[in-house]
Amino acid sequence: MQDAAHTNQVLLIPCSGIGKVHGLISREAVYKATDILGPDQADTVCLALLVTGDPQTRQKVQEQSCITLDGCPKLCAQKNVELSGGKVGQAVRVYDTLKRHRGGKFGSPTALTEEGWGVVDEIAAEVAQTVRAAATR
Amino acid sequence: MAAVAKVGIISCSGEELPAGTISRLATRRVLESLRPQSTVTLCLPLFLAGEEQERRFARQHPTITVDGCDKLCAKRGTETYSGQVACSLNLAEILGERLTGCHRSQRDSGKADEQAVWMAAERIAAEVDELLAAAPPPTLVSLEASTVGCACSRPSAEGALQVDGKTVVINGLPLIFDRLHRKGVEPGNGCADQLLETVRIYHAIEPGEEGAYREALVASYQEFCGRRASDEATPA
Repeated sequence: MQDAAHTNQVLLIPCSGIGKVHGLISREAVYKATDILGPDQADTVCLALLVTGDPQTRQKVQEQSCITLDGCPKLCAQKNVELSGGKVGQAVRVYDTLKRHRGGKFGSPTALTEEGWGVVDEIAAEVAQTVRAAATR
Repeated sequence: MAAVAKVGIISCSGEELPAGTISRLATRRVLESLRPQSTVTLCLPLFLAGEEQERRFARQHPTITVDGCDKLCAKRGTETYSGQVACSLNLAEILGERLTGCHRSQRDSGKADEQAVWMAAERIAAEVDELLAAAPPPTLVSLEASTVGCACSRPSAEGALQVDGKTVVINGLPLIFDRLHRKGVEPGNGCADQLLETVRIYHAIEPGEEGAYREALVASYQEFCGRRASDEATPA
């Protein structure tokens, strides 16, 4: 049964990208945003649990608002949430954010540069703002 | 082309847990440093979000799954949507108490994380060696046949492009061309915008360079499609 304390909690779900820096940025942005927002307002789930059809995780994404953060145009996070019956309130695309930083060196799939961490903070702040704005409506 | 032995490694995504981060970093270490010539990977969620080519992964490669917890999502997901795995590793069992000092964000990463990654990577590499020793090369897929759609499935292919007389290396260019070709994008000036926008995701192009890149990409894609047509016309 859904915990009443979690009904206003937003699920932030990053992609699992392992091949490029984009996936790492999406995950770190989720960790940063959940830190900013705190557990009452935000949490995350393993995308792989949705892939394997874990009932509790499916229930969570069906009952809570979801924001997905995808690294590449394959949009694994968004598609898997939707395939699980979840509603994606906002779909963040890391590669769109990186377009605003053309020529930047963001790091690798395993480590971010200072510029990469800057993008993480930028995306996390945007996501946190979206969650807070939705909470005040 | 001679067959090149490749073992697939599928890491759990484990975004909720430090062990997920350790499993991904260990997988990358094997791919980049320990066994770069003999391993490939794929993002686990692509089995659902991707296409048939991605779902063939475990049928094309003897596959090791690396899980962070007892839920074994990587193993279960791979076997449900792709094929039987050759080896399943559970880092919760392998690393045990060592995982308690690890972090999910690399911002907080420290010595415990680094040691856990090394231990996990060494174990994965040992399993790769065992699989390669056990599998006769003819049963393994050739490098050319392993070009599934996701850029994560192997070290990124690089493509050289002549832009304004200069050689520019664009990471993943052959894969971008391959994907557009499979989508039926015809060569010629009509695909210039699509080429430019797709390449731009992975490679910075300054506004003043757009014209030169557009011209070079159209010519290079034309050449790529010509080679493909020629290959397809040649009997196996």
